[in-house]
Amino acid sequence: MPLSEYIIMRELNHPDINQFAVYRRVGGWETYAAALREQTPAALVQQVKDSGLRGRGGAGFPTGVKWGFLPKGVYPRYLLCNCDESEPGTFNNHQIIDRNPHQVIEGVALSAYAIECHTAYIYMRGEFASAALLLEQAIAEAYAAGFLGKNILGTGYDLDIYIHRGAGAYICGEETALMESLEGKLGQPRLKPPFPAVEGLYGKPTIINNVETLANVPRIIEKGVAWYRSHGTEKSPGTKCFSISGHVNRPGNYELPFGVPLRELIESPEYAGGMRGGRPVKIIIPGGASAPWLTAKHLDTPLDYEGVAAAGSMLGSGAVIVLDDSVKAPHVAYKMDEFFKHESCGKCTPCREGTHWLVKVLHRMAEEGHGEANDIPTLHSIYRQMEGNCFCLLGESAVMPIKSALELFPEEFEAIVKG
Amino acid sequence: MPDVTITVDGRSFSVPAGTNVVDAARMGGIAIPVFCYHPRMPAVGMCRMCLVQVGMPKLDPATRQPLMDAQGQPVIALMPKLQTGCTTPVSEGMVINTKTEEVQFAQKGVLEFLLTSHPLDCPVCDKGGECPLQNLTMEWGPGQSRFDYNDKVHFEKPVPLGDLILLDRERCILCSRCVRFQDELADDSVLGFDHRGRNWMIVSKSDPPFASKFSGNTTDICPVGALTTADFRFKARVWELSSKPGICTLCPVGCNLNFDMRHDRLMRVMPRENGAVNDIWLCDKGRFGHRFIEHESRLHAPLIRHGDHFVEASWEEALTLVAEKLAAVQSARGGSAIAGLAAPRLSNEDLYLFQRLFREQLGSNNLDHHLGSPDDGDHDDLGGLLAVGKGTNLMELGAGTTVLVFGADPEEEAPLYLLRLRALVQRGAQLFVANQRATKLERSATQALRYSVGGELALARALVRELLERGAAERIKLKHSGLDALRKQVLAQTPEQLAAAAGIAHEQIVALATALLEAEHGLIMYGAEARSAGLALIETLGALAVLSGNVGKPNSGMIALLPGGNSRGALDLGVRPDARPGYVLMPQRGLPAQQLWSAARDGHVRALWIAGLDPAACLPDAREALTAAEFVVVQELFMSETARMADVVLPAASVAERDGTYTNAERRVQRSRAARAPHGQSRPDWQIFQDVAQMLADMMVLPHPRVEAEGAKPAKAAKGAKTAKGQNEQVVTRPPEPPRWDYLTPDEVAAEIAERVPSYGGVTYEALAATGNPGVWGRQANEAVFYDGTSYENTEGIGIALPSLISTGRFTLSLSPRPAPVVKDERPLLLLAQPLAYGGDPLLRGSLLERQLAQPAIVISQSDAEKLNIQNGDRVRIVSAVGELSAAARVHADLPPGLVMVPAGLPGLCLSRIQTGPRTRVSLVKVVV
Repeated sequence: MPLSEYIIMRELNHPDINQFAVYRRVGGWETYAAALREQTPAALVQQVKDSGLRGRGGAGFPTGVKWGFLPKGVYPRYLLCNCDESEPGTFNNHQIIDRNPHQVIEGVALSAYAIECHTAYIYMRGEFASAALLLEQAIAEAYAAGFLGKNILGTGYDLDIYIHRGAGAYICGEETALMESLEGKLGQPRLKPPFPAVEGLYGKPTIINNVETLANVPRIIEKGVAWYRSHGTEKSPGTKCFSISGHVNRPGNYELPFGVPLRELIESPEYAGGMRGGRPVKIIIPGGASAPWLTAKHLDTPLDYEGVAAAGSMLGSGAVIVLDDSVKAPHVAYKMDEFFKHESCGKCTPCREGTHWLVKVLHRMAEEGHGEANDIPTLHSIYRQMEGNCFCLLGESAVMPIKSALELFPEEFEAIVKG
Repeated sequence: MPDVTITVDGRSFSVPAGTNVVDAARMGGIAIPVFCYHPRMPAVGMCRMCLVQVGMPKLDPATRQPLMDAQGQPVIALMPKLQTGCTTPVSEGMVINTKTEEVQFAQKGVLEFLLTSHPLDCPVCDKGGECPLQNLTMEWGPGQSRFDYNDKVHFEKPVPLGDLILLDRERCILCSRCVRFQDELADDSVLGFDHRGRNWMIVSKSDPPFASKFSGNTTDICPVGALTTADFRFKARVWELSSKPGICTLCPVGCNLNFDMRHDRLMRVMPRENGAVNDIWLCDKGRFGHRFIEHESRLHAPLIRHGDHFVEASWEEALTLVAEKLAAVQSARGGSAIAGLAAPRLSNEDLYLFQRLFREQLGSNNLDHHLGSPDDGDHDDLGGLLAVGKGTNLMELGAGTTVLVFGADPEEEAPLYLLRLRALVQRGAQLFVANQRATKLERSATQALRYSVGGELALARALVRELLERGAAERIKLKHSGLDALRKQVLAQTPEQLAAAAGIAHEQIVALATALLEAEHGLIMYGAEARSAGLALIETLGALAVLSGNVGKPNSGMIALLPGGNSRGALDLGVRPDARPGYVLMPQRGLPAQQLWSAARDGHVRALWIAGLDPAACLPDAREALTAAEFVVVQELFMSETARMADVVLPAASVAERDGTYTNAERRVQRSRAARAPHGQSRPDWQIFQDVAQMLADMMVLPHPRVEAEGAKPAKAAKGAKTAKGQNEQVVTRPPEPPRWDYLTPDEVAAEIAERVPSYGGVTYEALAATGNPGVWGRQANEAVFYDGTSYENTEGIGIALPSLISTGRFTLSLSPRPAPVVKDERPLLLLAQPLAYGGDPLLRGSLLERQLAQPAIVISQSDAEKLNIQNGDRVRIVSAVGELSAAARVHADLPPGLVMVPAGLPGLCLSRIQTGPRTRVSLVKVVV
């Protein structure tokens, strides 16, 4: 069942919701204005905490708890909105902005006020040129309307929001690499601890949230915690904008409450509309390229953080890639790991060298169809040498496709080796 | 830091809390392999080589006490993933496993990964044989590679990163040690990364590329053969080398180095660890600047002038001629007609015997180690009197230390100090940099005090005034005089007046005075620019050290950056016209170098012996004097301009060809050993002096040998002698028998110095060989495996720090102030002879650094350039009261108005022709072509 009211894709069917005036007419920016006048930052943090809102970037960490990690009394603080959306299969941030950039800006502004920050940055994937322009315009309109700048609405609160476009690196979606990049340095992850909430951008306390996460905030504050929690599940409240792609009839972004079964997303005519040509499901990657694979037997898995984890994978960014039996597992693993190899920053040995080696072997097997006697044990040991040993999650993510492929479809590798 | 108890591989021991797991394990003798981690730099956890299993005691949630198992042992909760040891600080009860199957699998895995991209060209790699990658692979790596050789990545190689360093990208394991060294330690952010993933690569970001005076160190800390020096590339296999411990004499730091020899040939120079001096580093001048030792133009035989040319002669012939000529001059005109100059890079043994030869055999006090240039300045005694005390070790300093660097440019004058001072700051010391212009060190300062041109004395007085106001005088424990006069002088001006004259905010002055006063250890370092302001300034800085209580104790005092590697030795050992070794003042002073040339021109000085200095290169007066002199002996490595004018040229052995000791800026005496036989027939300087002295002793007996010693007066009597500020109170009643001239080896000379020069007591070769505590970089716990190919362990002695003279109780400190030097010249600009590491030092010949030598230029400020309508590159002329010279102008954005800076020591730009003294006023004219 489609939602009666969308949270992230608010006013989904309003054709001109991307117009500032239209967004204002449906109540846009009012929550922010009211919050600035009537609510303390602490109260807002508490509401976000109580709402159970979880970070949509992939880890699903409770947003309010994260905000609570800011050390007391240390200023300036920064808010970073992560719009580096680069995970294969993930494309909701772009559409959220395309449809309605104002809600994102309002979410950023409201969250900035909640964490007592006066400078927020939106880090955009470099390729999102049109989305960046939309945001720039939305920001300009917000300044013009007095929602940004100095002494906003006479409350004494100051806030500036800046757009920064990346230069084409997946790793810059990793929060600390994003900060390095924003500071003008090479986009590579930083050592943690210290965590960004304590020492982030320019060494100052920093909160970093995904576009989709922040887009939730105005509605939570507007409609209240109870209303928000009436969506989704106990532990995964609210809705999620799932990006479904692959061999389905209607790939796209669908906002659903957490907990909807995977089967419904794939098969419902309201959503992906079933498999292309009615072919059987072979591989489901439920949370972007970094997530372990599921198969047809997991179709009844509820799409929430706990459900997908119980099935042995992760909800991640909610990017569901569904592949049918026309694909070969080694080839899928090759394509996925080719991506990670291309995006490996090079900082740590296992990721830099491991992805390189994996792809060498997988390319030979999948593309050239040539396997060697030791290939399968070698592939196993390469990913094992990477697993748990990389500097950041990029290298760990690269393990998933090959590990899943080898575990779920060993016979396809054996067939190549046998020739 | 309190100690915590940890258990590594089942062994429990205590280490300071906060130590990282790699270092902590090392303290317990357990080796964890590393590549990117380097103990001198913050850990980055990139290479993943040091992965270990870490567990923490499980705590009872209620009591926060460790839970115990049935056996009474704490229950350990292992972390779910392996941890990088370098980035994990230890804590109480931590359990670390370095040898479990999981850890070994990970370590083997990282090594296998690293080797997949490595070309394995060890047979042609300079690092082969001292390569951590080789060693770690043997110890922790897989036996063989499963990676298909044909899949290896190939890059163009080598890529020059500059004149000195080459990068082999195939060998690079991307540990970033070099980049981090340049960023964090050297403060030259000239290296960086480009691209990413497997194409990630080191690049030089600067123009000219790899512009850093410390670049060679990156080749040491490179754990593979990715960075090699152009100097050593393909020269030798490291196992063919034998390392001979030496001391660098190219600047006053006195870095410990090794001459790595193959048979008799110098293959490379490497740092030798000495925590108190150079730690594990060496600047590029020291590393690459020793090629002069084997330069083809070295003098190889004695030469005697026959008319307008030289003829090779035997030593016997040449020395006899020298002895006879000197004896003749001596008997005809007395000792005062003979003068000697010896370079401040010669060893203590050379310098000591040189002054003995002159004083005892020739009866002459005309001795100096200065060049006789107008800007020679006064001899620096305060750097000895108030030197940092015995036991000083910069490595131990950090929080609680205040360092004031005044009128110095350490990067150029004594490069290694830049690294040492930065390390001090990183460990929590406060660094104040006072100068009239920007220096690189200033960037590392806790606070920079940019005094106005000519404002240094006012600043120093303002600081002294502030201390006196705070009652500092009452706390002076040293014997001193002249305090009232000092007080009267500094109180004559208000703090505001002094601050205004200095061009420094009063608050900054107060902050610095407070920092010095409150410091547990205080160091005041001063350099050429401070010295050019004269003794009035230096002695005020001395008063500052005394009043703030920072003298006469370890890790506190003055450090003077003087030219050459052994100026301090020359001062200590009496190669000066006014004092015998040990600062014993002479009642009858000889001629200082500056007065020598006119004396020789006028016929008062007839014979000259010049060892290792080249005054003729740049001093017209010296050329005139050498022409006029009856007899000139030049003792040199090369046929210098001065040597060309000599009657006899004696070839001297270089620093690497003889044993000797050298006294550095901190008055640490260190021994350098012969690395090879002297070039050709050259001989060590001390031996030449001794041979001539012996001949003279056989030929003639002076009527009153040691007349000066007997005449040495107690302190009060020597009132007129101002140069030696500290005055000896020890009355020499019965001079000891003059020693004979029969030293077989320099250690016998050193033993005599130790016996006869009080502050050098105990400094024998035997004592110098002591290494003290094993180095931090030592070879314990398999460390050679990680740090092979880097700094050498010091097994040859770390030297002996002399006590400051004031702490011996034999000297009285005079605080009575001098008036400021009076400037009579109305010319608008002050000339600054900029000391440069890569200036005109003739010793850099034959080295790769020749390409980086400073170019002649007249550097002026933006505002003066605008005023005079001068553009970058315009030809300009400097005019002083005595002369003029011209060169291309360079407009410097960060130079204050009123200052003209010219590189010192360039043969093509002889500043001495226009200098009127240590400070010269000039005007500037644009040359219209």
